[in-house]
Amino acid sequence: MSKKPVFISRHEELPLQGGSTSLFLQIMVGIAVFLFSVTLSGVLAINSMLLNWNESILGSLTVQIMPSTHLNQDKAIAETLAHQEKALDVLRNINEVEKAEPLSDKQLTKLIQPWLGDGISIQNLPIPRIIDVKIKKGASLDYMDLAYKLAQATPMASVDNHKLWLNKLIRFADGLKLLALSVLVLVVMITSGAIFYTTQTSLGLHKYTIQILHLMGAKDTYVAQQFAKRSAVLALQGGFFGLLVGLPTIFGIASLAQQIEGGIISEARLSFFDWGAILSLPILAGLIAMITAYYTVKQTLQKMM
Amino acid sequence: MINANSNINTKYPAIIEMQNVGIRYDQGPEILSDIRLSLRKGSFHFLTGKSGAGKTSLLSMMYLAQKPSRGTVSVFGHNVNFANRDALAMLRRKIGVVFQDFRLIDHLSAFDNVALPLRVCGMDEREIRKRVMELLQWVELDKSIQATPATLSGGEKQRVAIARAVINRPDLLLADEPTGNVDNDIAPKLMKLFVELNRLGTTVVIATHSEKLIHDFAYPRLHLQNHGLKIYGPNDYTNMRGNLV
Ligand SMILES: Nc1ncnc2c1ncn2[C@@H]1O[C@H](COP(=O)(O)OP(=O)(O)OP(=O)(O)O)[C@@H](O)[C@H]1O
Ligand SMILES: [Mg+2]
Repeated sequence: MSKKPVFISRHEELPLQGGSTSLFLQIMVGIAVFLFSVTLSGVLAINSMLLNWNESILGSLTVQIMPSTHLNQDKAIAETLAHQEKALDVLRNINEVEKAEPLSDKQLTKLIQPWLGDGISIQNLPIPRIIDVKIKKGASLDYMDLAYKLAQATPMASVDNHKLWLNKLIRFADGLKLLALSVLVLVVMITSGAIFYTTQTSLGLHKYTIQILHLMGAKDTYVAQQFAKRSAVLALQGGFFGLLVGLPTIFGIASLAQQIEGGIISEARLSFFDWGAILSLPILAGLIAMITAYYTVKQTLQKMM
Repeated sequence: MINANSNINTKYPAIIEMQNVGIRYDQGPEILSDIRLSLRKGSFHFLTGKSGAGKTSLLSMMYLAQKPSRGTVSVFGHNVNFANRDALAMLRRKIGVVFQDFRLIDHLSAFDNVALPLRVCGMDEREIRKRVMELLQWVELDKSIQATPATLSGGEKQRVAIARAVINRPDLLLADEPTGNVDNDIAPKLMKLFVELNRLGTTVVIATHSEKLIHDFAYPRLHLQNHGLKIYGPNDYTNMRGNLV
């Protein structure tokens, strides 16, 4: 005797309350993922830009010594060289500096030759002296600090502007990384806090059902897994919507940045992996939700027989 | 003598043992005091006593819903005072319970309710389906597979509760007024189910007010009175009469 197969739909034993609790959770997770996706993309973009700067740009710099305006030519030269010595003294005492060498007269002559032609004696001209500074590989020199120390030693020395500007950018990026880290902490706290709260509420609402499950021989793990699964799905959905709002925001900011200074900001490209990290944020939220729900249930059920 | 004793202990081990058990709720007086009891494997008992005598309370210790306020309760040889949560869960899987108030899950269908004991121990869905359908048919509920408890009559709910209690072929079956709400024609059928399970080795305790049931099935009787427990033999009718209800 063959029977018609009956379709049997299985219902959740412990449905999370469909209404406000789930929505609350989704919104919280959505906001968290939105915030973090925008911050993270900013950090990753600036990071990639900094990595794009050529090692050679970062590895060396030049210090200029303005010529003395003393009327006596010999005295003027002597004064300029004295300033140069002071600057060299400062530079050679900085840890990150590998070597600081003044350009020789010959090198200087070669430098100005294109402008002033052959047969020039630089002894007779008030031209600036130049110190070539090599920075140790991998060392990060604080340019602001360097500029300050040089200014203390001699008013005639100056570091080129470009380097100072770059240094400020690096500091800004470091600050941004710190911000991203605090946003990440916030995201984890918001997500797990929302999950903890909704799970506790839901456990209270399902007390009767959970008691029955226990009497049928369910272990705490059985209950915890159901909550973990549902929470993960909700957080994943919330996170997905957060990302959906986050992506246009990221593109918006990017196009604004592009308008500021095309040359430099255009190097701030997000790599394939950067995008991977940003797009997987909802999954991260889902994982956090899953783990939090699981342990919240385990902890709470400990108190029941 | 000693041999005979050890023989009976291995062949018919005590499934439930209670020593000096007392139970109270909150700070109230003891509902049951100094209960001593040993139910061996394969035994069948009725549990009687006036309303409020403590039948449900006694059963709830057996199905591990609560621990005694004092004394020791051992189930399948495990002292429940020392068993951890997972160990209790494993013991409960060997116990089928028909609750006086059914305790069905309202948002689940009859099918899902009956399937619960199988699902919590992770049985394969195909096997679950086969077993549940078979049993629901047997208790004449095959028309109500998808119905939720709210749409079922008292007797139908009771049959769902009974099906859930026996679906896992339990070693210990505890039924609290299992035939109170069912028609007279299905009651004997359900009793036959319990008797059949008992014949296959399940230890059974049935709490009941029904004099007819006790009369028709000659099983020994645990009787609760004045916070204590007395045990009567199956044919102890003189004692029985005055004590019922
Ligand atoms: N959860 C509880 N909290 C407080 N008191 C309880 C609780 N459960 C039972 N009682 C009390 O314990 C006593 C015994 O109750 P119990 O349910 O065990 O009786 P019963 O023999 O099963 O009665 P019935 O035949 O009416 O089902 C009653 O006086 C009842 O009020
Ligand atoms: Mg009762």
